[in-house]
Amino acid sequence: MEIAFPIVLWGVRILFLLLLYLFLFRSFAELHRAMRTDASDAQRPTTGLAYLVVERGHPAGPRTGDRLPLRTTSAIGRGPGNDIVLNDEAASAHHATISLVDGEWWVEDKGSTNGTLLGGARIGERERLGQGDVLAIGRVSLRFESA
Amino acid sequence: MRAHPAARFGELRLLFLVAALAVTGFVAVVATVNAEFRTAQVLVPLLFLALAAALHVVLVAVGFRGDQLLLPLAVALTAIGLILVERLAPRLLIQQLTWSIVAAGAFVAVLLIPRDLSVLARYKYTWALLGMLLLVAPLLPLVGTEINGARIWVRLGPALFEPWEAVKLLLVVFFAAYLEEYREVLSATPRRLGPFPVPPVPYLLPILLMWAIAMLVLVGEKDLGATLLFFGIFLAMLFLATGELFYTAIGLALLAVGSLLAYRAFPHVQARVDVWLAPFSPDLRFDQGYQMVQGLFSLGNGGLLGVGLGRGMAERIPVVWSDFVFDAFAEEAGFLGAAALLALYLLFFYRGMHIALRAPTAFLQLLAGGLSFILALQTLVIVAGNAKLIPLTGITLPFVAYGGSSLVTNFMLTAVLLRVSDITARVRGPG
Repeated sequence: MEIAFPIVLWGVRILFLLLLYLFLFRSFAELHRAMRTDASDAQRPTTGLAYLVVERGHPAGPRTGDRLPLRTTSAIGRGPGNDIVLNDEAASAHHATISLVDGEWWVEDKGSTNGTLLGGARIGERERLGQGDVLAIGRVSLRFESA
Repeated sequence: MRAHPAARFGELRLLFLVAALAVTGFVAVVATVNAEFRTAQVLVPLLFLALAAALHVVLVAVGFRGDQLLLPLAVALTAIGLILVERLAPRLLIQQLTWSIVAAGAFVAVLLIPRDLSVLARYKYTWALLGMLLLVAPLLPLVGTEINGARIWVRLGPALFEPWEAVKLLLVVFFAAYLEEYREVLSATPRRLGPFPVPPVPYLLPILLMWAIAMLVLVGEKDLGATLLFFGIFLAMLFLATGELFYTAIGLALLAVGSLLAYRAFPHVQARVDVWLAPFSPDLRFDQGYQMVQGLFSLGNGGLLGVGLGRGMAERIPVVWSDFVFDAFAEEAGFLGAAALLALYLLFFYRGMHIALRAPTAFLQLLAGGLSFILALQTLVIVAGNAKLIPLTGITLPFVAYGGSSLVTNFMLTAVLLRVSDITARVRGPG
């Protein structure tokens, strides 16, 4: 018994190292798997691409006919920090956002003064966007087009 | 977030291995040291594993997609940290467990609360201001506290924390947003003066400003590590955003000049460098060089397989649990253990960079890249310091070293990386 204890303890220490390497090995395998699925994802066309086409612009921009690409989350408003800047006095500084959630596009009003209109009706907090929907912010109107 | 749960079997399998690893490590330490038995020795690993399981359940329940590797890596490193705390400073064990619970809370908060990460980009100047305030906080009277010659601590009531840890996250967020905003300047070809590109004003100004602040930190807070990290993050992200090696070269030259001046002017910097150059010199080895000398003995004592968990002499190193954990682990788990530990960090960094490359927007790419980079730089600086490759600094080994502020921020960092990978998985379509 007196001899057995140190041997068991030595075994536990070696086991610790073995488990450490097993974990490392499995982590490498997981990384490999993740990168392989990522690579096959990249072959598929992304569903993320969408545009806002400017139907009625504003003299100070954006111009009628412009195609504004959308990102996963795009901020729209009068402030210079927005992804899509509308130089219209009737737009609020942080007016609205358009974002992609689970493959669906949503427009959300960020508490603007004059509201955001979707197909002519003022939206509540957030609303789903469909192909060809027309958004009106201030005097600018934008048509949503997803690729 | 998706309403219905999604299985994360890869993550679950890895977490089972972490559990086996943690239990084995605890058994080895407790059986070897066998002073008096404490309930905490059983309770702490069990509670910690329950915590890890809870984090996994949260990720499954909210339907999180994306990466399944970072959480097991973070948990494994934290478990190794707890084993080393039990080994080197048992009286701090409960405290470290408490911190890991707080860290798990912060992790879940970052996962759930900001519904949209672009909020981070929109209020970038707020974050920058907050970061600056935190950075100079240790210099203020009343709250600032000096420990072991470095003035990097803030005391609020009974809690003592290193604001630097939070500052690094805020800085990465700010840099990512700032560099993204000026991305038009980035795509333009820079004017050239002979063979050298002339940085446009939006780059030159922050380079100089950051340098000035980094020097202020070096002089005022007497911390080499924070200075190096602070400036290193900035240069790395500038390089990520512009791809111009020359800007990085300017930055490094400025840093070299500043460091040289600091070395000439300040005795505490000289002391660090002297210890690094010759820790065994007769007037240093029992004095300022004592910690370094004992650390090197530990590192050398390990050999290939190590002396075995619990059997080392690392407790001779002063403040080993926060400054020299790498040497302690290398002594007890040997070269093989230390190499595996470094490989875990490498995996974390590699995965983080991969997430950055795939992220859908420039802001998210810079954010993930910057966050992965700080973790790698921190590991590099402290491990190299422990091995006497560069002067020792006050940076902690991420996840492993004892310390609450560091553990909490590193878990928040992991949560942000997970969110970026989740966003990527959603944008790339149903997978």
